[in-house]
Amino acid sequence: MKIAVFWGCRILTSQYAYEMSVRETFPKLDVKLVDLRETNCCGDPVKSMNDFAANYLAARVLALANNTGLEHLLIPCNRCHFVISEAKSVLAKNSKVGNRIVEILKEEGLVYNPNIKIWHTIDFLHDLIGLKSIKKAVSKPLKGLRLATHAGCQIIRYSELGRVDDAENPRKLDELVNELGAECVDYAEKLDCCGANLMHSHVDSALSLAGTKLTSVQSYGVDGLVVSCPDCGLMFDFKQKDAATTAGAKLDFPVVYYTQLLGLALGVEQEKLGLHLNQSPVDKLLSKISA
Amino acid sequence: MAKPNLESREKILQKLSGLELVNCFQCIKCTSGCTALKLLELKPHEIIKLVNLGFVDELAASDIIWTCVTCLKCLQRCPQRASPYHVIMALRNLAVEREAKVPEGYLKAVSRVLETGLAEGVQDVVSRKMEIFNRENLKLPKIAYPKESFQAAFMKAMEER
Repeated sequence: MKIAVFWGCRILTSQYAYEMSVRETFPKLDVKLVDLRETNCCGDPVKSMNDFAANYLAARVLALANNTGLEHLLIPCNRCHFVISEAKSVLAKNSKVGNRIVEILKEEGLVYNPNIKIWHTIDFLHDLIGLKSIKKAVSKPLKGLRLATHAGCQIIRYSELGRVDDAENPRKLDELVNELGAECVDYAEKLDCCGANLMHSHVDSALSLAGTKLTSVQSYGVDGLVVSCPDCGLMFDFKQKDAATTAGAKLDFPVVYYTQLLGLALGVEQEKLGLHLNQSPVDKLLSKISA
Repeated sequence: MAKPNLESREKILQKLSGLELVNCFQCIKCTSGCTALKLLELKPHEIIKLVNLGFVDELAASDIIWTCVTCLKCLQRCPQRASPYHVIMALRNLAVEREAKVPEGYLKAVSRVLETGLAEGVQDVVSRKMEIFNRENLKLPKIAYPKESFQAAFMKAMEER
């Protein structure tokens, strides 16, 4: 199948490993990704300043997706997925806001399409591609790995909006990891937030949240943490050293994107999955797979 | 002593169309699960109470509304559809309208959106072997920045409330 993809800002500007691993793995599952011809911020940081303008930005993304002629849009970022889901709901319920946004879009020749179905990496793979198809595609099972998963906040809450997984007991990412041959463990801090959104205003608190969660997960003796959001990747992987310093912890803990693991299980070379770009010590995890 | 301002309270209620803020019965489920409680002392149930009592001006001028990490647990767990998250976002919007102090990070992000269409600047990254990588040498496609007409349209949207 063909699906349009909106990457958001963070993936395009620093979380290259997530983008590379999605671009490598999806075609192997017979999914053709179609990039938008133009992109813009989903509206997340603007939401705090001007809700109307944030909804306009999110609606513009859906209008750009409409230009592809495709009905499905993949949004691999949790924050973008939330902001665009909420904008969709506002535009559907509040005709005054909706009409004005449609008007502004029209000035650029853009057409808002409320019927575009949006997906995150997790529900797209779990619900649409399906666990069976993923299992069938695996050529190098990740046997012997024990992992913890972190679904993140904004793809699972708030349920009324229609989210990717259960708000209090998300299982889909675990099930997806299981299909690759690895084992998942449950842990008390599973729903704890990475803190990324505080990077705008309270950097130390943000890093402290990330460091505290990583300290707990590391203490359970698992081989690594699996994420599927560029913000969580930024906090747990890219900023792991800063998080350790701020939280006063000793961290030496592999953090990978789910699509990187998927790529390994599908037999894709490490470099193509951006595994050289992770800042956390993923070599420990990789040597366990090849052993 | 601070005095309640019912006009400001009305402003917040207007921004929250459909949310039943006044139904909050202070069960404190929001605060007991709040990510920002321990480190930054954010107490969502207090915010709701203060808005209900009309102390909106004080909140809009306070730093506390900028401590929310937007994990969305408060509104997920609220039995009364009061949504502290949406109340906090409405207070932030009001603070911006009143030109109160807004954290630098948000101002930077919005001006970047205006300049480039994206909220973040593109970065070079360093691999674990200390080699420098960017989109080009990773063979990732060029970023498709928005066309020129975007800037005027976004400005127009920023003028709406």
